[in-house]
Amino acid sequence: MQTAIKVEQLSKSYGNLLAIDQISLSVKYGTVYGLLGANGAGKSTTIECILGTKKADSGTVSVLGLNPKEDRRRLFQNVGVQFQENNYQPEIKVSELCDETACLYKAPADWKTLCEKFGIGSKIDHAVKNLSGGERQRLFIVLALIPNPKLVFLDELTTGLDTKARRDVWKILSELKDNGLTIFLTSHFMDEVEALCDEICILKKGKAVFYGTVEQAKKASGCEKFEDAYLMLFGEVVEE
Amino acid sequence: MKSFVTLLKNELKLNIRNMNMVIFAVIIPLVVLIILGFIYGTKPAADGTAYTFLEQSFGALCCISICAGGLMGLPLVVSEYRERKILKRFKVTPVNPVKLLVVEFTIYVIYCVVSMLTLFLFAMLFWKIKIHGSLLLFLGSWLLTMVSTLSIGLLVGGIAKNMKSASVIACILYFPMLIFSGTTLPFEVMPAAMQKIISMFPLTQGIQLMKATFLGLPIENVLLPVGFMGAVIFICFGISVKCFKWE
Repeated sequence: MQTAIKVEQLSKSYGNLLAIDQISLSVKYGTVYGLLGANGAGKSTTIECILGTKKADSGTVSVLGLNPKEDRRRLFQNVGVQFQENNYQPEIKVSELCDETACLYKAPADWKTLCEKFGIGSKIDHAVKNLSGGERQRLFIVLALIPNPKLVFLDELTTGLDTKARRDVWKILSELKDNGLTIFLTSHFMDEVEALCDEICILKKGKAVFYGTVEQAKKASGCEKFEDAYLMLFGEVVEE
Repeated sequence: MKSFVTLLKNELKLNIRNMNMVIFAVIIPLVVLIILGFIYGTKPAADGTAYTFLEQSFGALCCISICAGGLMGLPLVVSEYRERKILKRFKVTPVNPVKLLVVEFTIYVIYCVVSMLTLFLFAMLFWKIKIHGSLLLFLGSWLLTMVSTLSIGLLVGGIAKNMKSASVIACILYFPMLIFSGTTLPFEVMPAAMQKIISMFPLTQGIQLMKATFLGLPIENVLLPVGFMGAVIFICFGISVKCFKWE
């Protein structure tokens, strides 16, 4: 089994709006895959259709060799998820949220160590709602890593983080990747994508306009900087 | 099992922190008991009855917490968790949805137990109430009433579109049941036609049964209320589990 995620011809529309159109992608084990695109390009919808929290209109999805809809409970023993919008019980504390998450898995990671690692170790007795935006973002990355997953989905993982915290998160994720973790992420930060991603897919209005590596993107666009390449690849399609 | 205990512990803490149910399911019934106690004391329910007014009302008092939990607390918490997308986060974990429902259900069972025990303790210490009938039969009726009412709450929380509609349905169920089922107004004083209608509430059946078993009154046709409440439990649980929606 070489591929961690295999998606074929995935489509989903909301009413008349085609949110994603015939997306196909495959993610190899132990790699970092980045899904890029402007706001509303269909990144979150793609993730949710892969996870089974949204129902695709057509197409097939296989994650760790399983069907997310049919094998939900087996699959999510090994998959961690951080959604773009963070949801939690109104009065819950950090320790309670971590404890409640950890108890659902057979072999969870030690959440206290994870909190320390992500710099929120001193906040575990605080209410989640009283954390700063950046602290809360890091907490939800911790929650995604609590299962000791083989595969983790991170939707806009470093939105709201300061420069130092972003670098720290990259470093931890790179270490986890070296230990065999597969990561599927979305991001608006091209430096982040360049630092972390082995392969990328650029979405524009629900269609995939580029598949490949960061280097290939630069080459295809003739740009030296990846950010320019991204904009170029994005722009070309507008002109077509 | 370990995850059940951890979830229960954390969810119970959150629920107590919220204070609503502590007030509505534990403190309010106690306040009502104390008021009734000061008014009626150890007076008999009517001239010549062997039991006191408080003894006659005890079953109904226990139903205040059952109503508060089953018709307000439980439906609102389930629909709130869905609306706030907390259930969506649980969907991407290996948890069994039935386990989540049972955890929330158990929290309200705990409130009902606490309320019943404090009521009994207070009423026994200050107004010397005692069970004229059978303790076991009373507990059985109480359990049946509680589980059937809570299961209605589970169903409402399960099928309501959002918190707003859950809250409307909860109010529509809560107030008529609280007022007309015999919890506050005695069933006997209502016109016959109305008695027929409100006999459709499982709570009415439950209160009649609790009263009879507490006071040791003869129960005619015990199978009817038991069967009725059993059917409510079966149907409501079945639909809540079958139609469970994460989002």
